[in-house]
Amino acid sequence: MVSFHNRSSARVGALLVVAMAASSLVGGCGSNSQEQIRFAFSKREAIPFMQQVVDRFNDEHPDIHVQMDTSGIDVTSASFVRGNPPDFALANYNMETSRFVERCTLSDLSDTPAAQKMSPDFGPLLDEYGECEGRLSAIPYSIMSAAVIFNQEIFAEYDLEVPQTWDELLDVADSLKESGVTPFYATWRDDWTIGQGWFDYAAGGMVDIGAFFESLRAEGSEVGPDSSVSFAKDMEKPVEKMRYLVENYTNADADSRTYGDGNLAFAQGKAAMYLQGPWAFNEIAKTAPDLQVGSFPLPMTNDPDDLKVRVNIDLAAWIPEASGHKEAAREFMDYVFQPEIIQEYNASQLGFTPTIDAPPPDDPRLSGMIPYYGEAAFYQGPSVLVPKTIPIFNYMQGIVMGQSVTDTLTTIDADWARLAKRN
Amino acid sequence: MSSSSLTAIDRPKRMRRKPVEPLYYFFLVPTLLFFTLAITVPAVIGIFFSFTNSIGIGDWDFVGLTNYQALFSDPAIWQSYFFTFGFALVTVAVVNVIAFLLALGLTQKIRARVALRAVFVIPMVISGIIIAYVFNFLFSNSLPALGHALGIGWLETSILANPNLAWIGVVIVTAWQAIPGTMLIYIAGLLSVPPDVYEAADIDGASRFQCLFRITIPLVFGYAVINMILGFKNFLNAYDIIVGLTNGGPGTATRSVAMTIVTGFNGGDYAYQMANATIFFILAVIVSVFQLSLNRGRNTL
Repeated sequence: MVSFHNRSSARVGALLVVAMAASSLVGGCGSNSQEQIRFAFSKREAIPFMQQVVDRFNDEHPDIHVQMDTSGIDVTSASFVRGNPPDFALANYNMETSRFVERCTLSDLSDTPAAQKMSPDFGPLLDEYGECEGRLSAIPYSIMSAAVIFNQEIFAEYDLEVPQTWDELLDVADSLKESGVTPFYATWRDDWTIGQGWFDYAAGGMVDIGAFFESLRAEGSEVGPDSSVSFAKDMEKPVEKMRYLVENYTNADADSRTYGDGNLAFAQGKAAMYLQGPWAFNEIAKTAPDLQVGSFPLPMTNDPDDLKVRVNIDLAAWIPEASGHKEAAREFMDYVFQPEIIQEYNASQLGFTPTIDAPPPDDPRLSGMIPYYGEAAFYQGPSVLVPKTIPIFNYMQGIVMGQSVTDTLTTIDADWARLAKRN
Repeated sequence: MSSSSLTAIDRPKRMRRKPVEPLYYFFLVPTLLFFTLAITVPAVIGIFFSFTNSIGIGDWDFVGLTNYQALFSDPAIWQSYFFTFGFALVTVAVVNVIAFLLALGLTQKIRARVALRAVFVIPMVISGIIIAYVFNFLFSNSLPALGHALGIGWLETSILANPNLAWIGVVIVTAWQAIPGTMLIYIAGLLSVPPDVYEAADIDGASRFQCLFRITIPLVFGYAVINMILGFKNFLNAYDIIVGLTNGGPGTATRSVAMTIVTGFNGGDYAYQMANATIFFILAVIVSVFQLSLNRGRNTL
């Protein structure tokens, strides 16, 4: 195998960039002295809120015009490939962004005011997605903490306590089942709901996710039956336990239900527990505004000290190196990181504000997660730490619909090794 | 044919003298330019990157044939090819049979023929993704509700949720959209068959079936070949309907090749999927050459 850096290949790339720049000029010219900033933001539920922030900023800063681009993460990713990324983004921090980070296409933000106020708990979480040596490539803006959502009215009706251990969880589920209540509402038609809820909670409740992925990355192309860690070895137990819950305690029509169906059914009291993130709270409230719901981490072992909540960096701020308006973008970034704006934003989305001076959220629906979050007893979901090119949501969907756990996990190992080998 | 071969000897001389109409260049050059810029150049760049480890941005190295090696050992890739070709074959068959029968019916002297033709053409003008979402709702909600109401057990779960049957849903919806276009070509074909052959057959006492199998089908066979080539090409590129219906699921049961290639752009696997696209391109060329040779043979008949 020949492996060398190539100058002339850069020339081909440069040619490409010139062609692209020419086309972007056509779209970008014609404006006056105002500096135009393209701001990528695609969290649908929060677009109205963010639009207000943008409008206020534009009013207060006549020399800068921020244009919000809501076309979504796939378009944003493609724009990097085309060579005209947005100037500033508040975007979900995931494996998508990680490749921009690892190839150092995002500029260093360590000298910004926002970096000084960033809570130190999140540095390691950012690094789980890879890093660019010596740079702070992104700063978290909104953290979502997710756990089991439960219907407090049903729990009270049958005199049930929030389970702290696996055995207690099974007891709760059994007594619900005996009373004719579906314990868990599941929505297998939307494969992501299996990844983010069922698989992540099950794995995160038993396995040290950060360490697992660190070793997995170290093993790289050696991942397989003989490696020190692998999906087949370390994830089998949690996935088998997940499947046990799936087979015994979920609604019969789960195969053809979607996320929207799930929110509706849960709001109507058709099940006692629901494995979804905080984004579902507002959807449930649309149908049942007065329903008492709470949240608790899914117990996967019999030791209450193992209880953890799943977090993800729902939004992180970054400024691409290729942006021609970095200064203006930083000005807008400082604006959105003002304490009142970042806190108001997170309160509206039921998120946690990842700055050192922010108070925990006061929404009662999140209160079951706050103690764990406060002690940093949290993990990032394994389904989002797997590169997107491995269709882990699809694989998990296959498992809940009856495919072999061992075979599927072995396939994931093989995919991982193949990916590591060619990158 | 014979006259042209007679004049073939003195032809080059005449060709040299006669200047080419500049209008032809006026038509040809811009098209050629745009085709090169929009198709050829990106394709060559894509093939070039399939020998690297590029993710679409940043630095990259040459990795030789590593991507191709990984490709051939990847069960997900094999499955997507198996699914795509199987799906395309089945859909071509279903679409052509139904479209031909519809075309036969709609060229007969039946009542409201023109209105019916218009009705049957409607699916063609609706965007695939919209059709897919509507059918998704029908398969996931309406049909199970019907099954529940009638007490038909197997109808109560959506076929899209069944890994072994989901492909049937994809075939049904794709066929629903593709039949009108195919049907129009068949109608054109059927109308081009001169009525006097039928008259002659009638006089000779041919039965209805003999007319169909001995006259109609042989005479419109050229149109069938066109329909099969166009259809097969379209179905190999299956993307939007699958995204709207199953998104490649359940599991990975309905992931088409086009879908895996697209993940290369938004999943950080650019070079690898460019290798996949290169292989797919070569396969498509082989299939087209095969079909074109079939077509050429038929045309001379």
